[in-house]
Amino acid sequence: MTAPAPTSRLDQLDHGIVERLARDARISNRAIAAELGVTEGTIRTRIKRLQNEGLIQFTVVTDFRMAGSPNLCMLGIDADPSHVEELARSLSDIPEITCVISLLGRYSLLIMGLFNNLEQLNDLVVQRIRPLPGVQRVETSISVHNVKYEAGIAKITRKQGEG
Amino acid sequence: MQIRSGRTMTPPALDGLDTNIIEILRTNGRATNQEIAERLSVTAATVSARLQKMEDARVMRVVAVTDFSAYDYNVIIALGVQVQGRDVEAVARDLADLREVLSVNIMSGSHDIELLVALHDFAEVQQLLFAHIADIDGVSHISPGVAVDMVKFEFNVVPL
Repeated sequence: MTAPAPTSRLDQLDHGIVERLARDARISNRAIAAELGVTEGTIRTRIKRLQNEGLIQFTVVTDFRMAGSPNLCMLGIDADPSHVEELARSLSDIPEITCVISLLGRYSLLIMGLFNNLEQLNDLVVQRIRPLPGVQRVETSISVHNVKYEAGIAKITRKQGEG
Repeated sequence: MQIRSGRTMTPPALDGLDTNIIEILRTNGRATNQEIAERLSVTAATVSARLQKMEDARVMRVVAVTDFSAYDYNVIIALGVQVQGRDVEAVARDLADLREVLSVNIMSGSHDIELLVALHDFAEVQQLLFAHIADIDGVSHISPGVAVDMVKFEFNVVPL
């Protein structure tokens, strides 16, 4: 086995495991072990390590229809630079907002959420986002059609409780 | 008021057992059918059948979510695209063919298309933005925003 590149957090075996889990998240440790020619215990240990380091997470995604077919809305926020970090935290605390990214370039912050109606979106912007300290401008756009979405790759921002 | 009316479809009805199975898998997607069965006092075969039924109806899916850093994606860009002289959907499909493009949404707003792009390092930015994306017929303007920090990123409801 070749040594992993110094920047890489995963070696070749890890990559093999991740690749199989990406195809089928519920494949058994035994089946992965047989395919990769290692023991079941090795697979168990490796997966545990990847989970503990926040590199992989196993969860359920449900279809849009189950949530009443909401629209994905993106809000670009321009803000006073001295308030961006604090704003990012305040926005993360709002449950309807599912994604908060601080940016260099087009906006100070890009946030996203799923909304079933325009009133709900407008209330959020007018009553809860614009009054936050440092917010200068909020630009709203609504997704009318999703063409591509990779559910398997994301930023893992919090540790998952083991069931 | 519903923003979008055309695409809405009635979702399949789930009973208590279905939702209990989903709840267990939400906290531990790797729980075996046997473990789930024991917690819900049913058989593993029942759990297996219910999961199969829900996946077939595209209600839910258990996914392995891998962090950007596991693939050495260190540069994440939120890119707004404006389109001129070509059908927006055709441009969106061409953009979706690029491996580095993780998501493509056709938008109503200041940009026609929004992309989320993942790259290994800044050396790849020029190639992707100015060679691959700018070369697509109909792309008239791009607005890149480079992610500095992703404070929250929770997508549990997705198009399946």
